[in-house]
Amino acid sequence: MRSYISEFESKEKPKDYYTKIIEELKRKNAELNAFNIINDEINSGFPFSVKDNICVNGVESTASSKILKTYTPPFDATVVEKFKHNGFSFLGKTNMDEFGFGSFGINCEKPAKNPINSDYVAGGSSSGAAIATALLKYHIAVAESTGGSISAPAAFCGVVGFTPTYGALSRYGLIDYANSLDKIGFMARSAADIRTVLKQCTGRDGKDTTSSSQPLTDNPKAKLTVITELMDKTDEKIKSAFLRFLDKIKSLDYKIEYVSLPEIEHSIPAYYIVSTAEASTNLARYTGFKYGFKVEDFSKKYNDFFTEARNQFGMEAKRRIVLGTFVRSASVKDKYYVKALKIRRLLINRIKRLLKDSLLISPTMPIQTPKIDEVKKLSPTQSYAMDAFTIPPNFCGFPHASFTYDYLAGMPIGAQIVTDQFNDYAALSFIDSWENIFDYKFKYNIGAL
Amino acid sequence: MKIGLEIHVALPTKTKLFCSDSTEEAHEPNVNVCPTCMGFPGSRPTLNKEAVRVAKSVSIALNCDITNRISFIRKVYFYPDLPKSFQITQLSECIGKGGFIELEKKKIHLRRVQIEEDPARIIRSEGHTLIDFNRSGIPLIEVVTEPDITTEEELRETIFTLRTILYYQGIDINQEIKADLNISLGTERVEVKNVTGIKNLISAAEYEISRQNAILLNNGKIEVETRSFDEKSNTTKSSRKKESDEEYGFIFEPDLGFYSTEDLETTPVEMPTRAAFELARSHNSSYKTILELIAFDKDALGILYKYEKKYDFKSLIATLEIAKRFNETKDANVFEELLKLVINGIAINQETVNKIKKGERIEIRKFSKDEIDAAILEMLKAEKDIVKRYSKNKNVINFIVGTVSRKYGIQPRDVIKRVEILIDTLQKVEV
Ligand SMILES: [Zn+2]
Repeated sequence: MRSYISEFESKEKPKDYYTKIIEELKRKNAELNAFNIINDEINSGFPFSVKDNICVNGVESTASSKILKTYTPPFDATVVEKFKHNGFSFLGKTNMDEFGFGSFGINCEKPAKNPINSDYVAGGSSSGAAIATALLKYHIAVAESTGGSISAPAAFCGVVGFTPTYGALSRYGLIDYANSLDKIGFMARSAADIRTVLKQCTGRDGKDTTSSSQPLTDNPKAKLTVITELMDKTDEKIKSAFLRFLDKIKSLDYKIEYVSLPEIEHSIPAYYIVSTAEASTNLARYTGFKYGFKVEDFSKKYNDFFTEARNQFGMEAKRRIVLGTFVRSASVKDKYYVKALKIRRLLINRIKRLLKDSLLISPTMPIQTPKIDEVKKLSPTQSYAMDAFTIPPNFCGFPHASFTYDYLAGMPIGAQIVTDQFNDYAALSFIDSWENIFDYKFKYNIGAL
Repeated sequence: MKIGLEIHVALPTKTKLFCSDSTEEAHEPNVNVCPTCMGFPGSRPTLNKEAVRVAKSVSIALNCDITNRISFIRKVYFYPDLPKSFQITQLSECIGKGGFIELEKKKIHLRRVQIEEDPARIIRSEGHTLIDFNRSGIPLIEVVTEPDITTEEELRETIFTLRTILYYQGIDINQEIKADLNISLGTERVEVKNVTGIKNLISAAEYEISRQNAILLNNGKIEVETRSFDEKSNTTKSSRKKESDEEYGFIFEPDLGFYSTEDLETTPVEMPTRAAFELARSHNSSYKTILELIAFDKDALGILYKYEKKYDFKSLIATLEIAKRFNETKDANVFEELLKLVINGIAINQETVNKIKKGERIEIRKFSKDEIDAAILEMLKAEKDIVKRYSKNKNVINFIVGTVSRKYGIQPRDVIKRVEILIDTLQKVEV
């Protein structure tokens, strides 16, 4: 177990420590597009970055969308408030796919690039959070996941990415993608650091009705379940690396079991129905006259007025608005939206049964880190298929974490561990034990002491 | 003819439905606002329990089945007064289902009572439009009736009855009532949207009835459409032809989840309609008269309950009418004095009331037979034809007695004794 937080606290910092970090970070940022905003004024404390869809009082928060340019919320997200309260220092707002719509970090004005090789994607939608974690030695990223937005970039950038149980952390201050699916989570260089901040942030918040007071547990399970349907979807090189990893894991006294869960096939379409249905209502508020992008011509008819504003949305946002508006329209609602909710209920029950006496394990992504040029050619459905492994726990609200288990041709590859609802610490404990026999490699160590 | 109503009523809570801003009338626009009721990204609604409690009480008063586990939905449409471009409202898991408003002779059935947020206020002026978000997020209930109303009179009675029931729940909606009116004389349904105020609601219905009637009389076809009411001309205008139902894309509101209403304590419901029914029945009196007296006056009902067994009910009602005219239903002692005077046939004027309030004794004057006769004769002379009218309709005697006893303060029963005799004599003289 390695705690960068306590290591940082025990070390003397040179006078120009933060100035140097900012300098270096800005230089790398020009190349990788990790940050939308870097806080020049940071001069003490352990740095934390915040995904751009999470509100920081007085700091422009745009969710990397042109339509939210200049939106400066007059309040802190509850999680941000807790970080500040616990002595962490705000470092900046991290880049992302617009409103969280994407798995690669390229659905935004400045596409994010992989810190190990900038021809490759960083993953998304919390692309900047993962890049920042890969760049900075002492840093925690506050990120957010709806369908895999923490796991995917954590895997591609080689860091630990943790998504808690739905409701374990307050969503107050999060710019909504899909309210029944969004979870604020963290990225760090070790599971121990995530444990520290999770403890500080979890719990019931009066400002978010869906936040829970149920305490998080750390119940270990001796069995790891692999869902065969997911393995069938895995790229061959990833598969063989993953099987080697499972062999190593056995040395930590885990029993591996393969089970078939045919219903998991429905999780991608059902997830995209529920998430776009909610997203299309959340994005309805962007009409260009109270905050963010402002339409200048107030003489326009209201329909023309807000249509002009909504032209600011990127292609993927528009696609999800159209899709989401369709699936909840009266004539097809039962066929899509209502059915998808039923599938979610069913999947929760099935997966819950598996998690009673085991943890689920799978590769985080079905493919090796792709190049930016490659993913640009993918069709939307091909893109959505990349979320096959991250969607089930996200759709069902189970806590999960991605961590590096190997390197292929210098690029990290990640595995994802899933635990039962509110047994969040068990995922971190599992990674703790892995970290005892495996060393992560980081190309950058900005701010090392 | 079939009329259905969707009536919006603001709930009397201190704070808004989903945030802690005040609901009080502000002197300036956009001061009772926060990120939540402005729909700022990152903000979130939290449910005001008091609003749910009041809504539950009202639903019980309207005879609804109470939903134990309520939830909310998003109703999506684009309009500048709607900060999130969706309204948080209720549908299938609304607070009250079924129920009815009991009129004197029939029940107007209800579909549901739902809790929802009020949009902002739009202020239109020459060349520009302003938006005041002070109203955004004010808690409302919407009472949705079945199309059970079949006459204008029933429409009036429905609104009156709903108003008095709400009044007894602590909600005075005299001016603030906002309603949508569904009205069909033929088979096609016309909706008149956003009518504000009771007077306008009645006018809108009257206009729609005559408009649709005229079309039907000319063998025309009534179009399914949405219309709006124009206050200046007292007419309705077509605002949207309906090819299909409006598409709101309702989805579950995931930020609020489910809320249990079981533990919400509601105040025992006092029903003015029920009280009026029972008083009318046990004293063989008029339901309508009683309801009108007590509709917006809980003290009046208290007085009826206090004295119904002790005094003659007719005199009690008569005194209550007088007392309400002088705005004197608060003090039961003052009322009892008035009641004694009325029973003794004393006419009540402001001076009498003032004296009673000061605790002065009112002399009950005894009249001699000659004085009573003189008073009656004077009245008969003043009212020409009254004798003729009496000979045709003996009920005219009530008018004569009433007028004489009020004017001179003579007890009605003393007047009655003499009236018939005097008229008989008069008629004989004329012959
Ligand atoms: Zn507010």
